[in-house]
Amino acid sequence: MRRINGRMMTAALLGAAVLFLFVITVAGHMYAEEALVTDFSRKDLSPGGAYIFGTDWLGRDMFIRTLTGLSMSIQIGILAACVSSVLALILGVLAATMGKTADALITWVIDLVMGIPHILLLILISYAFGKGFKGVVVGVALTHWTSLARVIRGEVLQLKEALYIRAAQKLGMSQLKIAWKHMLPHLFPQFLVGLILTFPHAILHEASITFLGFGLPPEQPAIGIILSESMKYLAMGRWWLALFPGLLLVFTVVLFDVAGESLRKLLDPGSTHK
Amino acid sequence: MRHRFIFVLLTAAMVSALVSGCGGADTPEAGGAQNQEQTLETPEPAEAKDTVVVAMGPTSEPESGFDPAYGWGAGEHVHEPLIQSTLTVTTPDLSIDYDLATDMQVSDDGMVWTVTIRDDVKFTDGEPLTAEDVAFTYNTVKESSSVNDFTMLKEASALDDTTVEFQMEKPYSIWPYTMAIVGIVPEHAYGPDYGEHPVGSGRYIMKQWDKGQQIIFEANPDYYGEAPKMKQVTVVFMDEDAAFAAALAGQVDLTYTAASYADQTVAGYQLLSYKTVDNRGFNLPAIPASTDADGNQVGNDLTSDVRVRRAINIGIDREEMIRNVLNGHGTAAYSICDGMPWYNDEAQVSCDPDQAAALLDEAGWKTGSDGVREKDGVKAQLNILYSSGDSVRQALAADTQNQLKALGIDASIEGVGWDTAYTRAQAEPLMWGWGAHTPMELYNIYHTIDGLAEYSPYANETVDQYMDEALAATSLEESYDLWKKAQWDGTTGVTQEGDIPWIWLCNIDHLYWAKEDLKVAEQKLHPHGHGWSIVNNVDQWYWE
Repeated sequence: MRRINGRMMTAALLGAAVLFLFVITVAGHMYAEEALVTDFSRKDLSPGGAYIFGTDWLGRDMFIRTLTGLSMSIQIGILAACVSSVLALILGVLAATMGKTADALITWVIDLVMGIPHILLLILISYAFGKGFKGVVVGVALTHWTSLARVIRGEVLQLKEALYIRAAQKLGMSQLKIAWKHMLPHLFPQFLVGLILTFPHAILHEASITFLGFGLPPEQPAIGIILSESMKYLAMGRWWLALFPGLLLVFTVVLFDVAGESLRKLLDPGSTHK
Repeated sequence: MRHRFIFVLLTAAMVSALVSGCGGADTPEAGGAQNQEQTLETPEPAEAKDTVVVAMGPTSEPESGFDPAYGWGAGEHVHEPLIQSTLTVTTPDLSIDYDLATDMQVSDDGMVWTVTIRDDVKFTDGEPLTAEDVAFTYNTVKESSSVNDFTMLKEASALDDTTVEFQMEKPYSIWPYTMAIVGIVPEHAYGPDYGEHPVGSGRYIMKQWDKGQQIIFEANPDYYGEAPKMKQVTVVFMDEDAAFAAALAGQVDLTYTAASYADQTVAGYQLLSYKTVDNRGFNLPAIPASTDADGNQVGNDLTSDVRVRRAINIGIDREEMIRNVLNGHGTAAYSICDGMPWYNDEAQVSCDPDQAAALLDEAGWKTGSDGVREKDGVKAQLNILYSSGDSVRQALAADTQNQLKALGIDASIEGVGWDTAYTRAQAEPLMWGWGAHTPMELYNIYHTIDGLAEYSPYANETVDQYMDEALAATSLEESYDLWKKAQWDGTTGVTQEGDIPWIWLCNIDHLYWAKEDLKVAEQKLHPHGHGWSIVNNVDQWYWE
């Protein structure tokens, strides 16, 4: 019988995290209609019995609303993080391979975007795109690519000096072909880990921008909306409106982080034999 | 080892600095808070207390200060300007009485108003208030008011010290209601910074304004009318939850609150509830859908059928809505002006879902297999908009949605910002709030401009004509009748049997937590805006 080693534990952790997130996403999607239902005959119920997270001032089931909200956050997070990471990959590679001018230009754009406070830029972009789902996704996608782009640019600069790349150059392969054929496979692990670690950022920023009222409209079940609405009712002792959704948001973000870290450990050659 | 020692030493230094730093900063602050509380709270034991602290919402703070030209009193939310005098005032039953004016006459064609004013009034800087100041005020607001419409006025001029003449562009019988909200400013002390340093002749003097926090008013010692009983009025601006917390802590004497807080109890406070004409309702675009020159949607194919609009009007259970959304703190609304002298009570309907269903059937909207009505393969769908920061409008929209579903109309709701709401309301219902102490609101809502009404597409020549006649009437009494006819004249109008282009749901009671021994004077029906109206007569409040 084989002993359970560190790698297997990590893989199991990764699997569990991904499974849990998947279940939330699917469950939230299934209850999307239900989360919008208002029923004044059951308003302001505290948690317990049929409504384990309680209900709010419009008689909405907070459990379903939280699930749907998280599911929406995860979807926005995935979409925004993917767009963002692909953007980072393309710009990172371009910066490193397309010569000095392109490098200077792209580095300048990275510095520019990084120089503006995230949330400010997010609000600006989201507002310009008419708020709502589109605004949030575009906003998050356009603000979260910078650090990953930097990492990839650095990696490519290093790769350029690698022997097999120089050999390929001497053999007369075009820059693009080298980037596509020889560099991308090498960059993949960094890219994947970067992508997954962008999720929690994206989700938190989605929640905060919606909390501030520049994201989704308030009848939508988004975590930011749930939390900002709950603020008003804290003084009346309706603690459940804030507590459970808040805890679940933190939990989800932590899970993404765990998944990202596990993946890094599995892919990192330095920890292969643990 | 040495490194560790240094580390421990540094940490100790940091911690001690932190602790002492906090302590140092803390003491004066705590002391300050205490002092403030004392000034707010401690009543003078010997004499009767004559100060009051009132909390209002942050949006009530006048952005451009106390200048009537920029909306003070005469803005979106009308109220008495306190600092300045007005020519007329509205009485508790919303008819007209005099403040500065002693007499007013209108020419037979309605084009000239002549008003005589008191000769014993002084501004708080000692200068007398003359007809020149009145004329100056009106010419100024006509020129620069960005929030209120003064286009009916051509020019104001002073005939002598106590007589002022208003030349009108068109007859405007309800001019006395406009005169009740325009505070008279002194010509000699008016300038760009007037809003921040107002000089008036009213009951109070603005003593101090800490922007974003509070405004302190003191009684005007030379006031020509009855001396104010409250010598000092402090208005603080707080969000709903902060205001509630301030009441719990006993820091304010009276604070606004919302229906969602009404089931709470606050020791030492009572809940005051005032009837209002602060109504909520939604528009139903009365023309078929099309696209206008700017590419915006105008009209709605479902609500363009008058039978659908009538069905919605009687299909809505207003009492249920008031119970659920307002916790009972409201009255059913059937018009934009319930309870006003120009209100036509023909507008009142009773909820009748069967009749509503029959009307929808008659209009061709038959119930489909999924419970949603259909006509020619099109589902009866309605998207109701509401302003996204307003929880009461959201709840009203949500309840309307549920009630419409019961009628077989598949309704949805969507929160929108005011930047897009006006345009989108041309094609979709929007949850509005109206209600003012002037019949002009009827005109704004129902009268056409270039063929269609401004806020929701609708047109009826007869209704227009009644309102034009009402404005041209030579007496207010005569105009009231015409305003009523514009609502319903026996054959046409804007009520249930007429065109019903707007559905009115409820008038929201204005709720306040007030200290039990504070006696708040009788209130007129509050207009739209849960703010300054409450202090209209703060001079008559007293402590028991």
